[in-house]
Amino acid sequence: MPIDLDLNERYKPEPITDYERECVAKLKPGEYEIYSEKFNNIVLEAKEITTRIGISGFFHAGDLIVGLYTANGDLASAYCGVYLHTVTSQIAIKYILKYFKDDPTVGIKEGDIFYANEALYGGVHNPDQAAIMPIFYDGELIAWAATAVHQPETGAIEPGGMPITARTRYDEGMKLPPIKIGENYQIRSDMLDMMANMVSRAPRMQIVDTRARVAGCDRIRVRLQELAREKGKDLIVGVLRKMVDDAEVAVRRRLEQWEDGVYRSVAFFDTIGTTNALVRCMLTLTKKGDRLTFDFSGSSPENDGSFNSFAHIVRAHSAIYMFGVPFADLPASSGIYAPIDFVVPQGTYLNANWDAAVANAPVTNSATMSVIAQAMAKLLFASGQHQLATAVYGCTGCSFVVAGQNQWGVLFSDILANVFNSEGGGARTDRDGIDSWGFPWGCWGKGPDVEDMENEQPHLHLFFKHRQNSMGFGKYRGGAGTTIGVAVHSVPSLVYQSNVKNHKVPTAQGLFGGYPPGTHPGITVVNTNYYEKMKQGDKDLPSNAVQLITERTISGEYVVEGNTRDARPYQQGDIFIGNSSGGGGYGDVLERDPEAVLKDLEKGLISEWVAQHVYKVVYDPVTRVLDEEATAQAREAERKERLKRGKPFDQFMESWSKQKPKDEILTYFGKWPTGEPVRPVVRI
Amino acid sequence: MRKQITEYLDIDLINEMWVCRRCDHALISAHENYKKGCLVYDRNPHEIQPPEIEGEYTFSPDPDWIRYVEFYCPSCGTLIETEALPPGHPITHDIELDIEKLKEKYLLTKED
Repeated sequence: MPIDLDLNERYKPEPITDYERECVAKLKPGEYEIYSEKFNNIVLEAKEITTRIGISGFFHAGDLIVGLYTANGDLASAYCGVYLHTVTSQIAIKYILKYFKDDPTVGIKEGDIFYANEALYGGVHNPDQAAIMPIFYDGELIAWAATAVHQPETGAIEPGGMPITARTRYDEGMKLPPIKIGENYQIRSDMLDMMANMVSRAPRMQIVDTRARVAGCDRIRVRLQELAREKGKDLIVGVLRKMVDDAEVAVRRRLEQWEDGVYRSVAFFDTIGTTNALVRCMLTLTKKGDRLTFDFSGSSPENDGSFNSFAHIVRAHSAIYMFGVPFADLPASSGIYAPIDFVVPQGTYLNANWDAAVANAPVTNSATMSVIAQAMAKLLFASGQHQLATAVYGCTGCSFVVAGQNQWGVLFSDILANVFNSEGGGARTDRDGIDSWGFPWGCWGKGPDVEDMENEQPHLHLFFKHRQNSMGFGKYRGGAGTTIGVAVHSVPSLVYQSNVKNHKVPTAQGLFGGYPPGTHPGITVVNTNYYEKMKQGDKDLPSNAVQLITERTISGEYVVEGNTRDARPYQQGDIFIGNSSGGGGYGDVLERDPEAVLKDLEKGLISEWVAQHVYKVVYDPVTRVLDEEATAQAREAERKERLKRGKPFDQFMESWSKQKPKDEILTYFGKWPTGEPVRPVVRI
Repeated sequence: MRKQITEYLDIDLINEMWVCRRCDHALISAHENYKKGCLVYDRNPHEIQPPEIEGEYTFSPDPDWIRYVEFYCPSCGTLIETEALPPGHPITHDIELDIEKLKEKYLLTKED
């Protein structure tokens, strides 16, 4: 297998060519400003088209990305949201250029259509599939288009494309290195049949969604060729290159203004898929002059489960933050990465051996997203960029899978896109995080309506709503996550699976005293009388997961377990519960406006216990009118309690440093507390 | 001359100290981890996110796995930072600034 892992290191701009330099120099005043924006609009148009054609949940929700690249494969513009794919699609293009350009058996010709989903060749995990098209004008390659969207089925050992029981890459299903699937602007039927055969749990979705990706690319091709006819290809080449170069200049200028120093963060999660296990992600972020370095040394070792990653996947995940927050106003281009370096030590779970299972790489990289967001928030705040500093968003990655035959008789495999796209936003420096904010991997994704979901998937929603107490509390609280309950309907049975974590520990951290969000277990109820009760018109049906468990008005066998659950069949009437994470909190809870606490209470976002015991707000229990004086006294008393119970650092460390989690918790942590590997990982 | 670094902390560039923004208490040298100048408390997460159901999985972090380490200003009791850490895990030195560069940038700028 020709594994060229070095290609994955080529995330920075390629050296400018003489032709590109010439085209940049020829740009007339105003052309860059006009046509760079036109390119942004072209990729937006292509994104909208892709969203409308595709049928699986990620398309429906808009969790995708469309990118426009230079002839050398550098990203120049992208829209919008799932930025990690744009970074990795560069690698696939560079692979095609390196291996196929001069290979007469493949070649790169006008009208060619390429496709890829192999994590080793620049991908993220094999559900993430990308269509890639070269764009020619007058016989010359002038640009590339790529559309990447997660496909919720890969033909792996479990439905859903993210098998938690995968032990090696050989358990993960279809893996296409960049291949040509079409010529002369036509997708080859035999290639579609091959994919449908390999992804036979949901062949129709694979075929339609593949076409949707290609359609997105082709719209970019059409628009660029129209523009080339009107303005000439040199303008396109010049503007694309300038988008890359200008982004680099702007990033360096911005970095120079931020405060030099070292910023650190740690985050944890609690599974490697098949077993509960504490895993650590550690970041040392160094900002010096016009450079940034992200060093992930100290992260836990790779494991023999599916919760691993590769270094380029870590870099790609940083793009979600870098493109989305501090550099959101710049072209989403590879130029942003010119002054940014990464150290991701081989042998950590973030940079596992090539044969590792990485089916759940994005879930593991939620910890990457947490440490990057927290360390960057501290850098940005210290540098006076308060409006950009945000507590960590809920980043559990709530991909609950549902698969089987739907009510229309069609085989399908998909996710519960509504709970998936409704994690809580992180608290800001001047306001609360947004409730049910969105998809942390792609900020423009939307949670589809319940009716929309039920039209595609054969289950009935018991509830889909904000989850009480799910957020991190603080002066400004994180946004609430959501809770969803579904019962199999219209078909005899379905399969549900969950690669979701955070049942033991939260991954997101708070900021400047704010608390992390809570955790959420896996809950199912089988052999229920739910539909009988509905037919009878019973009024005591639960309206949230806690009520379901505590009141048990629905009869059945209740299971409360870890959130990570392998694929299992569920019969009609069986109930599956999913939850998303709230966002991290910001600042001292005692500084939260008491009226805001009461408003949270009124909305049902927090419980009475939290209002009284965490926020120390005193109010009339019947009218909920605030007692300002008593609240001030309660808060002052709490501050005095803190001074009593808090210990000087050295005294605290005397007892703290002697503690250690139980051995069974640390099986996959690495050596305590350094995280070094303690045993080799052998994959068969 | 004080430079704001976090919601609750400044660095006094003249005296090179971390200073609480709520009560002006000087915590510790700006060259040290400010957490060493705080009062520290090992908080059971159940005291913040109350368990909502019985059993091993409760909607609240498992205190055997994770603790909320709280850092208070020793003068006014403001909660300066909270860190979710496994019991006994090293405390993170989260902000280590180049103090000389800060002084050069802000003290000279002010005099200019």
